[in-house]
Amino acid sequence: MNTLETIPEKLGVADAWVEKGRVHWLPCDGLNVRDVAKTMAALHARFITITATELPDGEGIRMEYHWDLDGQLLGFPFQISDNKIESIYDLCEAANWIEREIHEYYDVNFIGREYELLFLRQGDKPGVNLREEDE
Amino acid sequence: MSYTIPMGPYHPGLEEPYKLDLVCEDETVIDAKLHVGFNFRGIEHLAETRNHVQVIALMERVCGICSNIHTLSMCQSMEGILDIAPPPRALYIRVIVAELERLHSHVLWAGVAGKLMGFKTMFMRCFALREKVMDVLEAISGNRVNYSMNRIGGVNRDIADPSAVLAMVEALEKEMVHTIIPVFTTSTTALSRCAGIGVLTQEQAISYGVVGPTARASGVPQDIRRAAPYAAYSDLEFDVPVETGGDVRARLLVRALEIMQSCRILHQALTKLPSGPIHAEGSDESDIAFPTGTATSRVEAPRGEVMYSVSWEEDSDNPSRVHVRTPTYANMPAIRAMVIGAQLAETPLIQASIDPCYSCTDR
Repeated sequence: MNTLETIPEKLGVADAWVEKGRVHWLPCDGLNVRDVAKTMAALHARFITITATELPDGEGIRMEYHWDLDGQLLGFPFQISDNKIESIYDLCEAANWIEREIHEYYDVNFIGREYELLFLRQGDKPGVNLREEDE
Repeated sequence: MSYTIPMGPYHPGLEEPYKLDLVCEDETVIDAKLHVGFNFRGIEHLAETRNHVQVIALMERVCGICSNIHTLSMCQSMEGILDIAPPPRALYIRVIVAELERLHSHVLWAGVAGKLMGFKTMFMRCFALREKVMDVLEAISGNRVNYSMNRIGGVNRDIADPSAVLAMVEALEKEMVHTIIPVFTTSTTALSRCAGIGVLTQEQAISYGVVGPTARASGVPQDIRRAAPYAAYSDLEFDVPVETGGDVRARLLVRALEIMQSCRILHQALTKLPSGPIHAEGSDESDIAFPTGTATSRVEAPRGEVMYSVSWEEDSDNPSRVHVRTPTYANMPAIRAMVIGAQLAETPLIQASIDPCYSCTDR
């Protein structure tokens, strides 16, 4: 069993990886993002980014966390409906800027951290850049 | 007693705006705080208002130096959604343009580094050489900056006479071997100015998730061309230079060695350029109809890994989401670790050593 195959078991996930478009996706229903970050850190995987996407019809925001494990691109999708998800910044320093950016773009609250302005300027309101205008 | 020096947004070493608040005791930096966003253009949002042709031109404007890499990443993502595979000749041409772009980016950086070292002759020499790289790009694409080479399913322009381009590349390589490479690998002046400053340890490099020459200079041997090959890189032989010093000197050496590897790749790609079409059948503008889907693409830009994540809804003209993670975005936060403990006068060179692009970072 290679390292990739051990990850679902380490995370207590029954599902297997789904490879699509050169990304290995692991369904994350019921998973805590901090457990994923801890597992990735233990495997010395390199954090790449989080892609946030606002879903249509008020379904919330899809958050795709990406790590690189020996050249393999891993994707962990989380769907949040209440604009909140736990921060992984204290576990993964590389996530600092992208968490701040997503907070500013979508007004997502990363629980357990404070923010300094990244792209916004003093007095700007979070959520103005990429959220739908009618929200 | 400590004091704070605001450096920027008009930067002493580079032509783009960002700000660094340096907290100093005497001449020693004890902390630093970065401020970006002065170049914010909302490109990710604008991308949602462009169709599949317009969005390529838009993404070419993310960066003025590595513009080709952004169109390549965007096209690879869209090809992933559409399940289109470019023909071999197009993949080789993509490699050729990408390596020429790496050459002109690294030579430009070498010039900026020369200027910051107080080595003005080197600056002039590098910029003259960079012009010649751009002459080659102009000969291929008709453009010196935004080449408009990539399209869905392949490339827009063929290389009609690879031997003529090869002759230009060989002349360029010869000149680099006699000028830039010896100065940056053996010159006592250049190396002593850079040795031991701006150190980023391997542990810090992994923690910050830095990429490209910045990572490779800290002993992290990652290169997307090798780890997850795209275009025609799996057909070509090249080494991934890695240094372990983690200082400005190591970053200098890695880029100098990468210039030679780019020449090696170019030589092979131009010699082995397969015959055939330059774009896939069924990839013409009128043939394109997107299904619902998301695709991700990674490429090794001159400054490191670029990642695009693109989503599309069926029958929509425009993407529903384009997320761009640029290399400087990953590398910039590590500046803080590099400047702590440095002398104030060393900080412009340290900042320049990651070859930062704020245009990319801000998008």
